[in-house]
Amino acid sequence: MRKHPSEANLALFAGGELNRWTRWSVERHVAICDGCRRDISDFSALRADSAVLAELPEAAWSPMAAEMKANIRLGLEAGECVSPHAVSRMIFSPRALAACVSLAALLVASVFLERPAPRGTDIRTSEAVLETSGSGIHFREGDQGMVLLNQHAHEVNDLATGRAMQQSYVDSETGMVTINNVYYVE
Amino acid sequence: MSELVPPPLEAAERQNRFVSENLRRIFVQIYRIVGNIADAQDLTQEAFIKALQRQEQLKDDLKAAHWLSRIATNTAIDFLRRHGRAGHCEVDLQTESREESPEELLLRSEHREYLEDGLRLLTARERAALILRDVEGCSAEEVAQQLDCSKATVRSHIANARIKLRRYMAGRRR
Repeated sequence: MRKHPSEANLALFAGGELNRWTRWSVERHVAICDGCRRDISDFSALRADSAVLAELPEAAWSPMAAEMKANIRLGLEAGECVSPHAVSRMIFSPRALAACVSLAALLVASVFLERPAPRGTDIRTSEAVLETSGSGIHFREGDQGMVLLNQHAHEVNDLATGRAMQQSYVDSETGMVTINNVYYVE
Repeated sequence: MSELVPPPLEAAERQNRFVSENLRRIFVQIYRIVGNIADAQDLTQEAFIKALQRQEQLKDDLKAAHWLSRIATNTAIDFLRRHGRAGHCEVDLQTESREESPEELLLRSEHREYLEDGLRLLTARERAALILRDVEGCSAEEVAQQLDCSKATVRSHIANARIKLRRYMAGRRR
């Protein structure tokens, strides 16, 4: 007698899942082997019996189905509220967030480095006062004084260094940048 | 190019019809894999919600049903992976009233319980392959598609499942 087919092949033969060559080989064996024929018959019966697993009772099914349908509807409605489109509108991607943070840091650094010098800088000695305001550089000594005016000025920056006072500004009419330096020499 | 979007009422009707036509089949399929009615209910709902949230896939009824089965199988298998093996412990199903004698009904019920117990011996994939092939009547190719594996693997799962189930049933008869 030929070698028996494997149990797996007998199981697959019963369900018709074998390829043509293996099926033919099993068929030839089964024709002369009662044992294998009985195994295939068992597997076929098992397959037929498995159909019982598809059954569900009508009585228990109806309320269960109604509940599931209601929950599915509810789930879909809830899903619409938190749809990915809505969420994506609110949340930045990590890359975009990193870019925004870098940009903000750059902006803060540039404002810090380019910030205008404080207004009203002054140089005081025992006899004289040299100070700036929005209108220009003021010099006073005793009862006398003078002002170096900066008319039509905007973006005014002041800088006091030692005994000198510097004021730079942009003429709002011409756009020209003017830098005035006043030195106090005793 | 503008796309025709069905009015909300029509879309809702289509969704309801889709659910009604497939609910029982999908529930049974999931129940036989997870072996628990409460979990099967939850997972059936989850599978339908996943499917209906991608409505563009539902234009072709035949493909949609197949696609839904695939989602259901994967949802059930994922669930078993997360929670361990299935337990057929909540079977409290009443049999359908047919032209059967009480003795026949009892035998049928017992036989189903034996089979359900036997399913517990199978792995999730073996169980899914067996249910899809022998209960749902899918071809081996369709089972392979649903389980996202090769036909050879499906054949192996089916063969193992039948062998284990046959041995179990033979042991019960002794």
